[in-house]
Parts: sequence; C-alpha cells; structure tokens
Amino acid sequence: MTDMRNQGDVTATGDGRLAIPAMLNGRQTTLVARPWHTLLETLRDQEGLYGVREGCGVGMCGACTVMLDGEPVSSCLVLAPQVAGREIRTVEGLAAPDGTLSDLQQAFIDHTAFQCSYCTSGFLITAERLAEEHPDASRDEIRHYLAGNLCRCGSYVKILDAVADLLERRRAGRTAG
Amino acid sequence: MSGVAKGLPGTWADTHRGTAQPEQPGMMDARDRVTGKVDYVINMTLPGMLHAMVLRSTAPAARIVRIDTEKARQVPGVVTVLTGRDIVSRTDVRSHFGPVFRDQPVLAVDRVRFVGEAVVAVAAVDRDAARAALDLVEVEYEELPPVFTFDEALAEDAALVHPEPPRAGATFADIIVHSQAGSNVCNTFKLRKGDIEEGFAQSDYVFEDTFTCPAVQHVPLETHCSVADARANDIVIHTTSQIPFMVRSQLAEVFNLPASRVRVVVHTLGGGFGGKCYPNTEPLTAMLSRFSGRPVKLHLSREEEFTAITRHAMRITLKTGLRADGKVIARKSTCHFNTGAYADIGPRLIKMGGIGTGGPTSIPHVWIDSAAVYTNLPPAGAYRGYGISQAAWAYETQIEMIAQRLGWDPYELRKKNLLVNGETNATGEVMDDAHWHELLDQVAAKIGWSWPQVPQRNGSKVRAKGLSCIIKGTVTPSASTSMVKMNEDGSLHVMTSSVEMGQGLQTSMAILAAERLAMSVANVIVSTPDTAFTPYDQQTSSSRSTHSMGMAVTRACGGIADQLLNLASEALEIAVDDLELSDGKVRAKGAPDKGIGYDVLVKNQKGGNLLATGEYITGGGLDPETGQGIAAVHWHQAAGAAEVEVDLETGKVNVLAYEAAVYAGRVVNPVQAELQAEGNVAFGLGHALFEEMVYDNGQLQNGNLGDYMIASFEDMPEHIGVNCLEEPVLNEIHGIGETGLPPVMPAIGNAVFHATGVRITDAPITAEKVLRGLRALEAARAAGASSAGPGTAR
Repeated sequence: MTDMRNQGDVTATGDGRLAIPAMLNGRQTTLVARPWHTLLETLRDQEGLYGVREGCGVGMCGACTVMLDGEPVSSCLVLAPQVAGREIRTVEGLAAPDGTLSDLQQAFIDHTAFQCSYCTSGFLITAERLAEEHPDASRDEIRHYLAGNLCRCGSYVKILDAVADLLERRRAGRTAG
Repeated sequence: MSGVAKGLPGTWADTHRGTAQPEQPGMMDARDRVTGKVDYVINMTLPGMLHAMVLRSTAPAARIVRIDTEKARQVPGVVTVLTGRDIVSRTDVRSHFGPVFRDQPVLAVDRVRFVGEAVVAVAAVDRDAARAALDLVEVEYEELPPVFTFDEALAEDAALVHPEPPRAGATFADIIVHSQAGSNVCNTFKLRKGDIEEGFAQSDYVFEDTFTCPAVQHVPLETHCSVADARANDIVIHTTSQIPFMVRSQLAEVFNLPASRVRVVVHTLGGGFGGKCYPNTEPLTAMLSRFSGRPVKLHLSREEEFTAITRHAMRITLKTGLRADGKVIARKSTCHFNTGAYADIGPRLIKMGGIGTGGPTSIPHVWIDSAAVYTNLPPAGAYRGYGISQAAWAYETQIEMIAQRLGWDPYELRKKNLLVNGETNATGEVMDDAHWHELLDQVAAKIGWSWPQVPQRNGSKVRAKGLSCIIKGTVTPSASTSMVKMNEDGSLHVMTSSVEMGQGLQTSMAILAAERLAMSVANVIVSTPDTAFTPYDQQTSSSRSTHSMGMAVTRACGGIADQLLNLASEALEIAVDDLELSDGKVRAKGAPDKGIGYDVLVKNQKGGNLLATGEYITGGGLDPETGQGIAAVHWHQAAGAAEVEVDLETGKVNVLAYEAAVYAGRVVNPVQAELQAEGNVAFGLGHALFEEMVYDNGQLQNGNLGDYMIASFEDMPEHIGVNCLEEPVLNEIHGIGETGLPPVMPAIGNAVFHATGVRITDAPITAEKVLRGLRALEAARAAGASSAGPGTAR
C-alpha cells in the first residue's frame, strides 16, 4: 500500500506526467512518470538503472526485485507514484560508493552463483534482506525465502552455496567482533 | 596473414599446450554480473529510436478480411503502422523468411495460422503511444477450420496450414528435404539400417508402445529483443540471437542486400536454450525501421515470448524386438513432431530427434520414420536437447517397461545393450570413444541403485530410484573460425562469433587461449559477435562451442605462438626448437631467466600487433534414403539417476536426489561445467513434472509465469551430484550444455514407477496423473485382478 502521508509530495508536471520525489540508492531524486508507469520501467527508462530487469511483468519471477523501504518488492507491480517519499535501493546501490562490492556480491562471485545473470540482481536484493532478517537461516530456510526468485539457467545450487556462505561469514565476523 | 591453422576434425593432440596453467575464473565479467552492468540488448537505446508493439492474431486459422489502421495512425507519437500487405506492396523487400522454408511472413499476409501471429505492427515515439495505437486497430477475420493434433493435421481431408507449398531456399548443408506437397507434412526423415522385418522375425519378444511430450517453452528470463537501424541502405541490428550469421543471411535475403551490408551485433544473452536460434523479431524490427526511417526497438513481453517459439510436442511409437537373452535386435520408430504453423528449424530437428530414438544401443535392424507436421499452433524450433529429450523419454521409458514385463533388472537390461567401441549406432557409425557403461555405472553407484527396487514407505510417502542413459549428436558438418590479435602490451583479443548466453563461452575461450599462449587469463578479452568484424561461426547451439570454437581459437593462438617463437628466435639468436612459451614470455628451454616478454616482441616487430586466424571445420552427411553416414563429428553421452518421493495421498512427486554423469572428454572450466549440469537438472525436472503449454482451440491458456511453472528453489533436489567424465589420453572437449538434459525426464519417470507402480507415458508426470494411476491400481487390486500388474495412466 502507498504511504498516504507522502501523497502530497507528488506534483503534476503539466504534460500529463507526475514528479515523484524519492530516495534512490542513497540520493534524493525526482522520478517523472505517467500515473500508470511502473517503478520498473521508470527506473530503467529514466534513471538508466538497467540492473532492474523485467522477466514476467506479473510479479512471479523476481528479476525486477528492488528494495522499497527495506523490503524486497517486484518493481513491475509497483506504480511509480506509489514510491513518493520512500526509499528505493536497487542492485546498483549494493556496492560501496567507491565501488567496493558488498560481501553478498563477493559471495556470488566466489561461488559463480549465476549463468546468464539476468536474475542475479533480484536474487541479490532478496538475499540481502534475508541476511538482515534471518542471519541464522538454515539451508532449507534460505531455499524457502528465495523461492520467489526464478533462475531459468538453474544456478540454484551455487546461489544457495553463496548465500549460506555469506551468512556464515557474517556470523564469523560478529563472533570475531 | 601468417599462422593460419587449418585442418581436419582432429583431436586435441594437434594443438599442444603451453607450459603455464592459468588461473581459472568462474566468469570473466563476474563483477558486471553482480552489479547489474551486463549490457543486454534490452538496455539499448539509439537517438530518435522508436518503440514497436505488435497486434497479434486472435484466431488460430483465418482469412484476414479487413484491417483498418486509420485511427491508429492518428495517435500522436505514432510514426508507422505496418501490415503484411504494406510489405508485399513494396518490390524492394521480401515478405517471408525462415531458416529452411521461407514460409513465415514478417507480418501475416491475408491469412493467419496461429493465435499470437504478428498481424499489425506499430512504431511510435514511446510505448504509451504504440499501445494506444494498437487498441485502435481493427481486424476482421473469417475463421477457417484449424488443425491442432497429429490426427487432425494428418487426416486425409485435413485443412492445409499452407495451401501453397512453402518456398525452399538456401539452408544448412546437412538438411535433407523430403516434404509432401498437398499435406500438412512439413518434412520427413527416414533411416533404414539392416532388415527390419528380419529383425522382428528373429526376435523372441516384440513390444510396441507410444509416448508423448507436450510443447514447452524455453522461458529465457530475457525475452527476444531487437534494435534495428535500417534507415540507410545498410542494416545494423542488435539482437538476441544464438546464430548471428543466420540472422544476417536472412535479413540480406529479405532486404535484397549483400551480406556485407547487414551487420548483426549480439550482446550477452539473458539465456537462450535454443529459443534464440533462428530469426524471430529481427525481420519485423528491421522492416519497421526501413518503413519509418527511424531506429526501432522491439522487445517481446513474456506473453508474446510464449508464442514466439516453442519446443515440439511429439508422439513416438517404438516397436522394439529383443532376443531371449535381452539383446535388442530390432527397432521401428515412428516419430511425429508438431512444428506448429511455421517450419523454423523443424525440418532438421526431426532428423536428430528421429536418429535419437535408436538410443545408446547397437541395434542391427533399425527403421525410423520421423515427420515434422504443420498445425495451427505457435511455431516450434530448436530447444535445448534438440529432439533428444523427447526421443529419450520414449526409449528410456520403454526399456524399463520391457524389463518390467519380463521381470528383469532394468540396469542389467541396459548393460546388455549399451554401445561399446567397435559397435555401430543407428546411423551406422562405428563408436571409438564410447563411455556409456562407465556413465551408467557411475550414477547407479552414486544413487545407490539396487534391484529389485523396494519402495521405502514413510507415512503417506514412498521413495524409490530410477535410471536413464542417452546418446546425442552434435550438428555436423559445421564450421567455426576465429581471429586473434596480440597487442603491443602482450594482451590478447580473441574475436569469435560464438554467443555468450550464460554458458560461460567467453571465459572458456579465454582459458583455452591463455593456456595455448601460456599467459594470464586476465590479459585475454573475448569478443561478442559483430558480423561486420568477427569471423564466422555457424551457430551457438548443439553443445558445440567449447569443442568447435575452442579448437578454432586454440589453432589461431597457435599461429600467434609461432610468430612469437620466430621473433624471439631472431632476437635471442636461439633456435625455435630450443624455445618455449612460459608465463607471458618466450624463454630458452632449460634457462628460464633467458627470456623475452610478448609485449617486447610485439613492439619490436613494428607491425603494431600480431594477427592470426584459426578454423575448425567438420565433415559428414547422411544418405537421404537410408539415413546412414556421419550424423555427428562425435557423440554426446550422458546418464542420470533420480531418487524421488511420491505422496500417495496427493500424487505429488518430489525429486530428493539426482546424479548426473556426462562425458566431457576434457573439462575446461569446472565451475561452469557444474553449473551447466545442475542447470540441466532444473530444466529437465520442470519438463518431467509440470511444464506444459496448454491450449484451448489454439489459444494458449498458461502463457505467463503465474500459470506456466518453471523450477524454483523449492522444486530442486536436496542433492545434485555432478560427474563429468574426462578422457585424459584423447583429451577431446565434448560439449555438455544440453547433454545432461535428456536423461532427467525418464530417470524421474522410472523412479516414480518404481515407487508407485504407476507408469506415465505422456509427460509431464503431474500429481493428477499419478493419483489417477494409483487409483487405477487400487481398483485393479480390489477387483482381485492380481495379475494386472502395474497400471498405465493416460
């Protein structure tokens, strides 16, 4: 549901489009979209965030997953005006500003957890939230959590290895700390 | 140009390696892959580019009575509204295309042949305008009698999908055309080995069974997308293609241009699986660009992708004769492949699929009739496994049905029949690198195969195991060529037209190049295809690239190696024979500190760079009447074993464990080999248990990822064992991209049978079918028919 408190932030541009203020990968921006445009097409067409990709258009494959206020959502099912005043994070926002990869991205590389990689962005976003929410998830719990993201190349074994390894590394980091 | 290495199909021995083993990355561009930076075609935009959308047929077979585009043309932002008639009315372009028959219109001309066929296309400044325009197009159809099933299409009085015989054109050398004008038979293939009647006469047992598989879709997560610029006479197209040179030749034909004036650029694909082999969105996108005078992008929706191209539904009847000792001595197979409304590559696929029904078995008497049949369904074409998934479903199921009828161990029955060196397969080729026994033994041991299979019961669930073993050819004859250049800093560019589609092609080529030149993989860049600049490769399919392009790249690098050795010999005044390549330098053998870097050699040579090319060309062909000859330069071999758990209350099948064994000859990139093998399990598991395109009067009922299931994390077995068999003496690379797929369906089906006694012969093995089979068994038991044996669910 749209957060009603932020509705007032959307303004008309005068040419049938809407100006939609939002936080995008840590910076304040204004998305411009027609009322029926999805967040997916707005991020791609206007912001050039090509890591967000359409796979099915109906919220079933997870390829277009982005973080909206900290929760993974299918950006093909979110209308652009719904994100007014909210915070969006895409795969492009996972690495540090200096380009250093996140430990999750590194784990995917270490396990080669991809083939064609079209689904990878969505998996990374969902897995990032999984790691925050369930730092002690078992392999079974990881499988269940990631079941809404589809990989047609079938890289599931390596994705599972990568995420399990990430959780292990973070646990080790906490223990050491 | 020096260093051209050209030779006959050979083994790895003629391409000796350098001394350094380079580090092996999983994927060269891994960083781009985890940061969202891969440049798929869908990301591409050009200045002034229009967006295309397509109005598609709502009738499976109809005459187009009227198309009214007037209102659509008035929509602000719409530049072009195009119909098939508009194309036909121009004399400088052709209206039809196709890799074998030119039977597919760029846009329907007067007639539609399947629900989803492109009828009207709009190019507009944005998708909103294009969508609005499509809504205003009016099309009036006069429906014609459609044909969907084999029986309907092959009936004597069947309505013809193509009343006029499709026009043939230039195609691949291996394709044999035997079409039957005046029928819906698109093409036939026949194979005659030995004397089939004599074979059955000598048989102690003869069994005849029929198997079916439905149409399924490739479902690459990246749908087809093309960006074409045909404003000038020349055409530049960026497109999602596994066969850029086929796109080039087809566009050259459609637009009456020399091949040199069509430039096809292919980016990394978001999956292909055979669905991006033959021209699809390209002719229409280029046509829209030509008519509008603007660059045009066409990106299919998921719904459109489902009817863009499919895997052939098939029906195979196998009549198999055995001697009392279990040796199979005769097989007659009758194969029908539903190729849909347009032939695409169906005329070739029926050959490999038909041959495939011979199985990994030396059968003296074989008779195969295989036909591609036109129907009013979406076109079927290449698909990972290329007909062998369907063939293996038939023969690997039947061999178990035979074993069960005779009370034999299906493993032992296979062992009596698996090919060994010196025996011949269906096409009469003598095997000299046969590993089926090892592969089957490996998976049987790993899964813990035992006989008899006693289902393990746990509450309402039962567990058991199943096996399978397959043979698969690779497209032959075929050609791959490569060009490499070594730059002044010693780095290397490898130029090929093989397509990176997730299989790790670029990384494999980099590894092979680095290995041959004893340099770091990190200093090698492998191109993506651009037909204006990268040399010819026949196709990225058929599990051929690592083998064929690998050979071409290695040979080209051999040319560079020779030049480096000669340059160093002059510079160091040491004979070439006393020099070797090592770690980016040419060094004196036995005196490794006496060496000279590649960078120095290239700089001093003053040519700017070193250039060399390499080729790999295979030969073969089959007799058109007997199907005997050379069908494949070498044979792909695989086995699979599944352990399943079936819930007797719901019929639901879970795959608990899967062991995949595949003959790799030599593994180039171990991580990628595992990924491909694991991916085949995910793919085949979907085909085995739930994937099916469901039609109602030709209208697809499940053309979205909500209703059409592909394997998710939760469907995957807890354990997948990958066993890549290597042969260090021959050291010949065998492709494994699809080889591991065909065993999956029958291995699961056979395990389900051993768990439940229910034999499914029509894939997929849905819970509903299993439950129906269980109830039939119960009913038979209740009726006291103790001799009824396990039931067959249809």
